Amino acid sequence: MAGIPHDHYEPKSGFERWLHRRLPVAGLLYDTLMIPTPKNLNWMWIWGIVLVFCLVLQIVTGIVLVMHYTPHVDLAFASVEHIMRNVNGGYMLRYLHANGASLFFVAVYLHIFRGLYYGSYKAPREVTWIIGMLIYLLMMATAFMGYVLPWGQMSFWGATVITGLFGAIPGVGEAIQTWLLGGPAVDNATLNRFFSLHYLLPFVILGLVIVHIWAFHTTGNNNPTGVEVRRSSKEEAARDTLPFWPYFVIKDLFALALILVVFFAIVGFMPNYLGHADNYIPANPMVTPAHIVPEWYFLPFYAILRAFDGDVWLVQLVQFLTFGIVDAKFFGVLAMFGAILVLALAPWLDTSRVRSGRYRPMFKWWFWLLAADFMLLMWVGAMPAEGIYPYIALVGSAYWFAFFLVILPLLGVIEKPDPVPATIEEDFNAHYGAKATPAE
Amino acid sequence: MTLRTKTLTAALALTISAGGLAWAQDSTTVPMTAPADAPAMGAGGTNFVASPETTEAPTAEAEATEAPAEDAAADAAAEEEAPIDEAAAGADAVGLSAGGESVVPVETTEAVPAVEDHARLETGIEEALDPGADEEAVDPYGGGSYYGHTEDVAFSFEGPFGRFDQFQLQRGLQVYTEVCAACHGLEFVPIRTLSDRNGPGLPENQVRAYAAELLPIFDPALGEERPRVPTDHFPSIEGAGMGPDLSVMAKARAGFHGPYGTGINQLVRGIGGPEYIYSLLTGYTGQEKEEAGTLYYGNTAFPGGWISMAPPLSDDRVTYEDGTPATVEQMSLDVAAFLMWTAEPKMMERKQVGLVSVLFLILLTVLLYLTNKRLWAPHKNKPKH
Repeated sequence: MAGIPHDHYEPKSGFERWLHRRLPVAGLLYDTLMIPTPKNLNWMWIWGIVLVFCLVLQIVTGIVLVMHYTPHVDLAFASVEHIMRNVNGGYMLRYLHANGASLFFVAVYLHIFRGLYYGSYKAPREVTWIIGMLIYLLMMATAFMGYVLPWGQMSFWGATVITGLFGAIPGVGEAIQTWLLGGPAVDNATLNRFFSLHYLLPFVILGLVIVHIWAFHTTGNNNPTGVEVRRSSKEEAARDTLPFWPYFVIKDLFALALILVVFFAIVGFMPNYLGHADNYIPANPMVTPAHIVPEWYFLPFYAILRAFDGDVWLVQLVQFLTFGIVDAKFFGVLAMFGAILVLALAPWLDTSRVRSGRYRPMFKWWFWLLAADFMLLMWVGAMPAEGIYPYIALVGSAYWFAFFLVILPLLGVIEKPDPVPATIEEDFNAHYGAKATPAE
Repeated sequence: MTLRTKTLTAALALTISAGGLAWAQDSTTVPMTAPADAPAMGAGGTNFVASPETTEAPTAEAEATEAPAEDAAADAAAEEEAPIDEAAAGADAVGLSAGGESVVPVETTEAVPAVEDHARLETGIEEALDPGADEEAVDPYGGGSYYGHTEDVAFSFEGPFGRFDQFQLQRGLQVYTEVCAACHGLEFVPIRTLSDRNGPGLPENQVRAYAAELLPIFDPALGEERPRVPTDHFPSIEGAGMGPDLSVMAKARAGFHGPYGTGINQLVRGIGGPEYIYSLLTGYTGQEKEEAGTLYYGNTAFPGGWISMAPPLSDDRVTYEDGTPATVEQMSLDVAAFLMWTAEPKMMERKQVGLVSVLFLILLTVLLYLTNKRLWAPHKNKPKH
């Protein structure tokens, strides 16, 4: 395996040598688990483990739920109630699965914002970042389709609204929407294909997660200083790193256990806190809920979608320039997907040579403003599109795009970075002191 | 990990499971009360079979309608154009079962203040609410009466240690059977669960007798109707003038929304759904109005302020076996608690799983913390400055 120099797997027994010659699976495991990891990683580097746990949790609970669920418009809601009432431990399976999605998104957002702050997306880790963004997109698709399966009012109307986004594409939109739905409206065909894809996509995510890990095991982890591990010799590398097992496995498991305390408290004591009451009303195509609101993890992008209505001069200008092809609805859709696209393009929009935000005095402020902006958009996304809220959403959306398209490229030019430590070892020792062993 | 810590873990596990067992046994010792009363059952039974017009006693309730379905369909069709925006002011006005409630991002929860004492329940309605946290005060939708007023109630089942009060569930079952069942079904609730020890806990022979008194069920194997047995579900009541199904109603109404639409006050006040049901049943103002041939009744809890269901309860509408005075307030509390149980029959099991999980995870966290500290100690020589 390319990357940081370290000891590789040496088959010792006869059987190990026999197997290693034929299938080097033990070597793969050893190299993966013993990978040299920058020893100065802080607590924001624990979200990867939490995310792997979430994926496994969702797949395991999901597989059992599927054994009892019926994807049919007349039976889906009842089969969920069957799971809640008759299946052994079914109420826990379902609540773990539903709240597991929320934990998944909490972790992924913190993971992404950690990457933004410490410049984890910068060369040579662009591919890791892009794969991560693909995983995030697939997570959103999976979560959205999963939310449709209980076939409550929010399931039905959420599906109607979100697939309607594709209908906004000029020309081919309606055809795409019909193709997605399997008919002119959300119905049994929609439920069935969403069920099928909801089962498929997690395994695609699993595959991408493996590639994601492969990619950053090739480049090595980023770390809070953004300084690369020294690679000239094994000895130097060893002074910057510690093996993943046991140091980081135990550290990450400790963090995971702490997070699970909160998670199980929510599942056990208030499992419906993050859900919508309306989804306990069976889907009814004849009755539109008063407020159709997506799950909390979609709200920032939902706010961006709604921010650009026909009253915004920019929207009117674009509509005029494109002879009405890009109308307000399509503009909103473009803005929503664009908001994720600019995030994915961060490696090429950031011009600063310094990787970590820790040594970028101006970037810090803009970054925290972006994090606050994200929370603001999440809040305003839950509010009705009336009164002051559309203006707040518009300001929030504008900052989101300004950060990536204006501030990030400009900062690299105008900002004077703080001095960066020469090595990871230096940074670590400044915090924790040099190792006591005389080997130093 | 040493042998000693393992022993400790095992000891803790035993303690917790023993506690859980004691808890379970405790709840099975609660004596039976009211709803096995045979004449009452009979009366309830006739209500189900007879058409609303021909029944003598509960005519008023039976005629109460929740929504004119055709109008609803037309409205909804008209609104389909812009489903993102809020279109349902009209839907609210006609009192649609689904459209009448609001949606905020974070909603339902059962939480904190554990009220163990069921005696407190009878007087335990917290009339004086913190007005600052009330929905009306901070209604983000600016709709005035959009939400209606939900009264907070200190139910016994709120909070991590909250438990259903078996007496209350049995009284609530009686209210449902003798009053609500005329127009509202419980189609997702298996009748046999009435004997759940974490539910009403009726003896099996009573459950069998109760099932037989319900509406008959069509059996495809026989090709004809037969009396219900405990393994069947409660009937679903459908048709013109009938109300929405109540199986999961206590989870389908948000109740609490504040402050600022975050729903966080649910953390200390419970899920809000049973409170909504209680507030609705006790919230009739006595006003009436007629619109498009339908009579509407003023109600402080119902969104929009006018509901098509006639006031279903009046003092002494039912006679409780245990001698509890059957005030409107008491019956509302009891049926709200019963509907929380029908919506979440495994609530007590779930809370126990949650408690055991949290305790074990705290233990695991402490052990991992110590392991991690010891593991890293040789590499960290001085504390962070």
